Amino acid sequence: MSAYGTTRQPGGGPPPKDKITDYHTALFRRLAWEGTVPVEIRVDPKELPANSDRGLECYYLQAPRVTYLPLLMAEIRRFLMDVVFDEAAASSLKEEDWWFETEEGAIAKWHWPLGLIYDNHTISMSVKGPPPTPNATATPLRLILHLASPPTEKLMLSPSQEACKQAFMGQLKEADFIRWGSTKRVTGLRKLEQDGIWEGIKDHNFDDYWKVASKVTPSAAASNAPSPGSSAHTRPPSNDAPSTFDRDGAYSVRSVPVRIYLPDGPILQEVVPPLLDDGSPNTLYHFLSTHLSMLFPPRPPAPPPSRAKPNPQPPAVPQLAYAMIQGVIAPQEAEMAWLGVCMAGADGWLSICVGINRG
Amino acid sequence: MASVIGASEAASRPSAVGFIRPERSEQFEEASKALENYKKKDPSKVVVRFKAVGNAPIMKQNFYKITSSNRFQAVIQFLRKELGWQAGEPLFTYINLSFSPAPDDTVANLFKACGTDGHLIVNYSTTQAWG
Repeated sequence: MSAYGTTRQPGGGPPPKDKITDYHTALFRRLAWEGTVPVEIRVDPKELPANSDRGLECYYLQAPRVTYLPLLMAEIRRFLMDVVFDEAAASSLKEEDWWFETEEGAIAKWHWPLGLIYDNHTISMSVKGPPPTPNATATPLRLILHLASPPTEKLMLSPSQEACKQAFMGQLKEADFIRWGSTKRVTGLRKLEQDGIWEGIKDHNFDDYWKVASKVTPSAAASNAPSPGSSAHTRPPSNDAPSTFDRDGAYSVRSVPVRIYLPDGPILQEVVPPLLDDGSPNTLYHFLSTHLSMLFPPRPPAPPPSRAKPNPQPPAVPQLAYAMIQGVIAPQEAEMAWLGVCMAGADGWLSICVGINRG
Repeated sequence: MASVIGASEAASRPSAVGFIRPERSEQFEEASKALENYKKKDPSKVVVRFKAVGNAPIMKQNFYKITSSNRFQAVIQFLRKELGWQAGEPLFTYINLSFSPAPDDTVANLFKACGTDGHLIVNYSTTQAWG
C-alpha cells in the first residue's frame, strides 16, 4: 500500500489510480511535512537562576512546521539544564510554569503548530516594521522563555504533551466534522492508530503519520464531474476501472477545513465548498475575493472583444495582499479542495496567513 | 522547503544617499485600512443551546445569546458560572456531540461551521465522552 498518497483498497487488488494526481499529492504532502523553521529561544535575562552561565542562554533549533512547542520542551530543558543553569539554583524550577512569548509580547500558544506561529509572526512583523532585505535567509522566530508565572488564561492549555495531544486530536475531529458533518472517520480509528498518528508527529515520521492520516484525509483525486473552463483538470478516463465519482474524495466534502489568519487577528472561518454552483472547483481567488474583498478585490470581467483587441484581458487589479500557506505564497488559481488535502497542517486544517504588500 | 519572508522585495530602493525608506504607499494604506476594518469586533450574538449529557445537571435556562466574537473559552467559563462549578471540577464540552473545539475558536466561527437550526449546540458533561 502506498504510504505517500491516499489509496482506497476496497478488498482486493490495486485501486484504480491516477498516477499523476498521486505523484503530486505525495510530493506536496512530503514538502509540507518536511518544512522546517528556524527558532531562537532566549531565557528572559531577568529570570535566569543564580550562577547561570550568562551568554549561553540562547538555544537555536531548526524545527518541523508540523510540531508543537510542548514537544520541543524536553530538548530545550535538557540544553538549559546541562549547559546554562546551575544545578542547585535550577532545582526549584518547575517546567510546567515555563512559557514562551515573542519579542513583541505575543504569547506563543501550545496548541498552534510551529509553522503557523512562525508564519503568523513573520507576517505580523512585515506589516508593522520595515520590509526585510531582499534575498535574506529566513529570519529565526525569536522566542523569550519565561520560567514562572504563566498567563494561563491566554495560554488556554497546560504545557503538557498530553494536553497538546488532546488538542491535536480535537482539531482532527473538528476537521472531520467540517468535511463530512460527522467525526466517524476519526473516532473510528482504533486506539493504537490514534496514538500512532500522534507518535508520528512526536517522532516526525512521515510514514507513521500518513499510515493513519490516509484513513481520515480525503483523496486528492479530482471529481469526474465536467468542470467548464478548466481543461487542466480533465483526466483521461482510467482504462482499468469504470469512472466513479469519488464519494470520499476532496471534491465531495461539504466544506474544506480552513482558517484565515490576519496579521494581529482576527481568525476567520467560512464555509468552503469544494465546487462552486457552476460545478467548477472553488479556487483561492474565489474564496478570498468573496470573503476578504477589501484585500482581494474581485477582478472585473474582460471587456468585450473589438477589432483592435480581439482577445481582451480583464483589467489588472492591485495586488494588495497575498495568501501564505506553509510558508509559501500560494497562487490564486489553486483549488481549495486540493489545498485542503495536500497543503494542510498535520491536524487537518488549512491555515492561510494573509499578508499585505508594502509595494 | 524554504520559508519565504513574504513582503515585496521592491520596497527599498537605493539612491545616491543610500537606501531611502519609502513613504507608505497608497496601496499599503488601502490594505492597512482594510485590515482595520476586518479587526472590528462583530457585535452580533449567536444563540447557544446548552445540552446536558449523562449525569450532568440540566440548567433551568438552556438558551443563551452569546456575543459572536467571544472565544469558546469564554463560553466554558460562562457555563461554569451558570452551573456554579469551581475551576477544579471536571467539565467537558463538545459541539454537536462530536468534538471539543480549540479554546480560541470563536463562537462566530463555530456557528458558521456547525450551527444547526439557527443555534450552536454545546454539550456538557462531567466525564470525557468523545475525547
